[in-house]
Amino acid sequence: MSNFFDLNVHAYPETNTPAEEMLRVARRYGYAGIAITNHDDSVEEQQETSPSIYMGIEIRTNSVSELNRKLKQHSGKVPLLVVHGGDEKINLAALKDHRVDILAHPCGEKGEGVLNHVLVRYAVENGIAIEFNMSALIYSRRGDRARILGRMRDNLHLVRKYKAMSILTSNARSIYDLRAPREMIALASLFGMRREEAVSALSDIPLSILEQRWNKEKEVEIL
Amino acid sequence: MRRRDRRRYLVFEVMSEIEVDKYKLLNAIWNSMYSLYGDIGTSESKLWLVKYDKKGIGMLRCAHSKVDEVRAALACIYSVNGALVGIRVIGISGTIKAASRIA
Repeated sequence: MSNFFDLNVHAYPETNTPAEEMLRVARRYGYAGIAITNHDDSVEEQQETSPSIYMGIEIRTNSVSELNRKLKQHSGKVPLLVVHGGDEKINLAALKDHRVDILAHPCGEKGEGVLNHVLVRYAVENGIAIEFNMSALIYSRRGDRARILGRMRDNLHLVRKYKAMSILTSNARSIYDLRAPREMIALASLFGMRREEAVSALSDIPLSILEQRWNKEKEVEIL
Repeated sequence: MRRRDRRRYLVFEVMSEIEVDKYKLLNAIWNSMYSLYGDIGTSESKLWLVKYDKKGIGMLRCAHSKVDEVRAALACIYSVNGALVGIRVIGISGTIKAASRIA
C-alpha cells in the first residue's frame, strides 16, 4: 500500500472544520497525511498541530507584483508555498519562481485558465508541481465540467510530454469534500489519467515535495 | 455461452451532516451517472441499489466492467437534498454474499 497525501486542504480558520478533524477523516480514508493550505488573504497566522499535518499557504492575488511581494514575505517561513492559479499572468509568474512548490488549479476553478508549452517547461525547470483539483470536477456540472475536463486533458498531455510533476488534490473545505484515494483515481480517469500516474500523483510526488521542503528546512537550521 | 451477466457488488459508505433518505440518495446517484455518462453510458452500467440502511452503509450492483465509472459517479456526488455528503466505496465483490460480509 502506498502512502497517500492530499496537499491542498482548507481548514479552520478559513473554513469551519478544524485541521485535526480533516486529518481524522483523511486517515480513515487511507491517507498518510494532509497539508493545510489556507488562502493567505483569509488567515493571519497558523500553527503546526500534528506531525501528519503539513502547513502551507495558498497565495491568492490578481497582480504579479503583489505575488512577488507575498512570495518574498512567506518564503522560508512557510514549508509549503502554493499559488492560487487560473489567471494567465499569475500562472506564468508563479511557474517562473523557484520558491513556489505547487501551482494550484492552473486551469482555474471554472476552467478559465490555460497552460502551454512554455509554462510547463518553466514548471519542470523550477521543480513546481502542477495540481489537478478534483473538487472542480465534483462541484461542477454540464458545460462547466466539460470545459474543466477538457482543460485538464490538455494539461495532462503537456505534463506527460515534458515529464512535469503533477499532483491530485481535493481542495476540501469540509470533511464531506474529502475523497478516498481510490475515488480520486477514478475521478482522474475521467480526464484520461492512467491508474499508475494517478497513484504516483497521490503518493510519490507529494511525498517528494514534502521531503524537499523538509531538506530546505534542515538547510535553514544549518545556516 | 455465459448464462448470466457478470456483476459486481459495491459496498459504499455515505458520510453526511444528516441522515440521508434512501430515495433521495438513489436520485442523486442516478443524476450523477446521467450527468457524467449520459443515457447510454448509464444504461450500460446496469446500476441497481441493492440495499441501503440509515447508518449510511449501502450496496450497489453494477456491470463488472463499469466499476470505475460508478466509483467516479459516486465521488462526484457532493450533496443530497441540500445536505453535504461524501461517498466512499469500502469494498467490491462478485457475489452478494461476500459483499454482505464487507458491510
